[in-house]
Amino acid sequence: MSVLVQNLTFRYRHFALRVEHLEFESARMTSIVGPNGAGKTTFLKCLTAILPVAKGSLFIDGRDIGVMREDERARLLAYVPQEHSSIFNYTVLDFILMGRAAYLPMFSTPSVKDVEIAQEALDFVALGRYAAQPYFQLSSGERRLVLIARALAQKSDILVLDEPTSFLDPKHETEILELAKKLAAEKQKTVLVTLHNLDMAVKYSDAMVFMKQGQVVASGRPDDILDEALLERVYEIKMSIIPYDGRKFIVK
Amino acid sequence: MNGRMNNRRRQGLGVLIYFLPLLVFLLSLLIGTVRIPVKDLLKTLASPLFPSLKQSLPANALIIIFSVRIPRLLLGLAVGASLSVSGASLQALFKNPLVNEFILGISSGAAFGASLSLVFLGRSFPPQISAFVFAIAAMVIVLAIGRKSDSPTIALLLTGVIVSAFFSALLSLIEFFASPYALQALFYWLMGNLWRASWGDLAVSLPLMAAGILILILMRWRMNVLSMTDEEAKTLGINIRKEKLLVILMTAGITAAATAVAGIIGWVGLIIPHLVRMMVGVDNRKVIPMSAALGASFLMIADNITRSIASFEVPVGIFTSLIGIPFFIVLLKRSKKVWL
Amino acid sequence: MKKYTKKILSMTATGLVAASFCNLRPARLAGQDQRTITDSLSRTLTVPAKVGRVLSLQSEITRLIVALGAADNLVGIDYFLRTNDRLFRIVYPDQARLPLTSMADYNVNMETLTRLNPDIIFGAPEDRQVCESLQAKIKIPVIALASTGRFDRLLEELKLLGDILNRKERAAELAAYFKEIIAGIQNIVLEEPGAKKPRVYLTFYGALNRTPVFYEPVNAAGGINLAQNLAPASLGVDKTVVDVEQIIKWNPDFILIHGNYPPRERIVTVENVLRDPRLAAVAAVKNKKVFYTFGFWNWWDMGQVLVESLYLAKLFYPDKFAGVQIDKEGNKIFKKIYGIDSLYSSLCKFLRCDEWTHE
Repeated sequence: MSVLVQNLTFRYRHFALRVEHLEFESARMTSIVGPNGAGKTTFLKCLTAILPVAKGSLFIDGRDIGVMREDERARLLAYVPQEHSSIFNYTVLDFILMGRAAYLPMFSTPSVKDVEIAQEALDFVALGRYAAQPYFQLSSGERRLVLIARALAQKSDILVLDEPTSFLDPKHETEILELAKKLAAEKQKTVLVTLHNLDMAVKYSDAMVFMKQGQVVASGRPDDILDEALLERVYEIKMSIIPYDGRKFIVK
Repeated sequence: MNGRMNNRRRQGLGVLIYFLPLLVFLLSLLIGTVRIPVKDLLKTLASPLFPSLKQSLPANALIIIFSVRIPRLLLGLAVGASLSVSGASLQALFKNPLVNEFILGISSGAAFGASLSLVFLGRSFPPQISAFVFAIAAMVIVLAIGRKSDSPTIALLLTGVIVSAFFSALLSLIEFFASPYALQALFYWLMGNLWRASWGDLAVSLPLMAAGILILILMRWRMNVLSMTDEEAKTLGINIRKEKLLVILMTAGITAAATAVAGIIGWVGLIIPHLVRMMVGVDNRKVIPMSAALGASFLMIADNITRSIASFEVPVGIFTSLIGIPFFIVLLKRSKKVWL
Repeated sequence: MKKYTKKILSMTATGLVAASFCNLRPARLAGQDQRTITDSLSRTLTVPAKVGRVLSLQSEITRLIVALGAADNLVGIDYFLRTNDRLFRIVYPDQARLPLTSMADYNVNMETLTRLNPDIIFGAPEDRQVCESLQAKIKIPVIALASTGRFDRLLEELKLLGDILNRKERAAELAAYFKEIIAGIQNIVLEEPGAKKPRVYLTFYGALNRTPVFYEPVNAAGGINLAQNLAPASLGVDKTVVDVEQIIKWNPDFILIHGNYPPRERIVTVENVLRDPRLAAVAAVKNKKVFYTFGFWNWWDMGQVLVESLYLAKLFYPDKFAGVQIDKEGNKIFKKIYGIDSLYSSLCKFLRCDEWTHE
């Protein structure tokens, strides 16, 4: 499923987001990078309709997101927030089960099938045995995986992850990005990720989008667009790109 | 209590809780100043179907059971369930364990309405109706003001506090001008008790409470999702405005109906849901219906105690505070982990 | 230095102990110009034997003072008599000139009180806090007195007031009249000592299940107050709450409803008692013996109490009092006490008490 962004604008008091044209293809993992305040999170929130957007700016397979009902949208697009905080300590499985909300009418409770789907999602992220554990007992890496599992339970073709690797140690960072890549490659999902770690972004992404001050500076395959001039323009410091072991490393 | 019980015990407890209201109801029919032994009780209950039994009943048994005890117990059941379900739902909605069923200005609105009726409007506008009308009015005002904000959850809570304060101030003003006898009547009316229960009141309030409780129970799983942040709930596919509004309307409706006929009975909506969560966890699929069952039983038992403890009657609202709060503190200390 | 400090400390200690002795109430100093009183809150107080300026926050006391003809001693009027007591306005129209000394919530204005400089203050025992804080602040004796439903206490108040206001004769006259009327009623109702007395349930204070534990007019009229021996009575409280089942169990012959409200304000009414399904089997309801009676009106008015006793006697024993016309007797009683004509008729216009026994 492809995502088309066209003339998307959003204004805060001191900040304006303007994306003229972007396309995200299915079976691809695209990372969105840029300095703090570039508008990455705002962009994600517009994509997922957390922030209200005008009609005619966002399309999924030709259908306008702006006019869709929430449940319709949730069946097409799932959002994984950076973290989850709440006061209620649901079990992991109950937590993931919430991903089925888009398929259930208001007065229904999840069926056996829904529970199966939730368990499958949990198994996919390799945490199947944690089903009955309270969510807050998990480590932060495991919690991230559970959030992803919840998004998987939505059975949507588009997955949007906001900074999924922040605050994680290298092992978990790798795990999550491997998972995201797997979801794109094996499950044909359209995966969008915002990342801070440029090296990881370069390593795992099929496509990259560089943002700065609310605008897209460059987008395309890393091999095609990555150069030192671009990096300096976006991040405003000198960086070097060093090839090593078949990969590119970025050194500040 | 070690935070989580194992599944078998939990299931057993669940089943017991669902049967509790019926059990308590039947046993409570035996409690009262007039002694009616079990045999006579059974005969009385069967007498509408077998009129011949009426001859052998002790004097007053029919009236005591059908006009005094059954209405009173039904009211206790409905009010206890309403207040508990409201408290549980609003705690999930507002993601705040300190929220109770009165936060949207309901109790102050009801008190004001009752005072208006008892002091100024006279018997042509009974306090029950006036209390209900103003309880709903308070909620409408809170919703109208609080919903416009960017963070509606906090705005609603704050607006609720402010509207409550406003109606309380109006209440004080009325109290100031009331004659001492109207004042006394008002004071007793507000204290929260079930003795006024009559089939007339029940005929109107019971269906209201039942309908609201039913809808909230139907939405029990939905409340899990609504207890997520607004962002998450939206992306999970829920129309949060519509569904939150529905929950709020239902909780306000049943709380207003309960308060209009029973006065202000506090602490039930705060304590019962937490007790339930301590026992079976936070999944609202269990918390909502069990709160209804446990709340119903609790209020009936509280009423039984206040009726039989002495020749005079302690208002049940006072009782729920006196018993509920220390009980809650004890449980708090004993549970090693936080149950939320 | 140490020795010096020790000396100071011991002197201070001695001083404090001495001072504490000074604070003890010298009840023993009752001499010729003082008297000792024990009030309704069981406080023992010393008051001057004769007083000139009286501040009464307790309506019952004020009414007695006016009945004694000592209204000139009043320095102020309380909120209830000023705004809610229609009868008193007719009894003592000059009350409008008196300064208002308390508000609706019984709070007293300290400045007004100090300015008025009374010799003695009468308070209401149900406002214990007001009495005690007042006494502490203002150093004038505050006596909490009320009849709480008993004739003997009412008469004691009368005698006390007569003594300290120099109206001994009038007090004695009124007391004798009071006893005469009651005795007259008692003679008739007790004609047959073995006869069954009517069992009466009183619903006062605006709720069906609230009842006074002692209400002597019922006893005087030859009835039995079913709530008479319930527990709170021993705690000194005048009212209690009963369970509806208790009322059913008692099965009263009469149910009397607090009628000292304007009809529009009544919460408990004859109609809704007669229609209450829970009371359907009670004798009083079956026989339609549900009536209004006066009841308290910020405690009692002496005239009203007498009329009420007569009214109840006629209610309980209609044959024995067949010839008695309550309104005529009522006007006579009030005339004797306050010296004003047709006072009872005025009261009835307000409370519609002439409609109370329509069949």
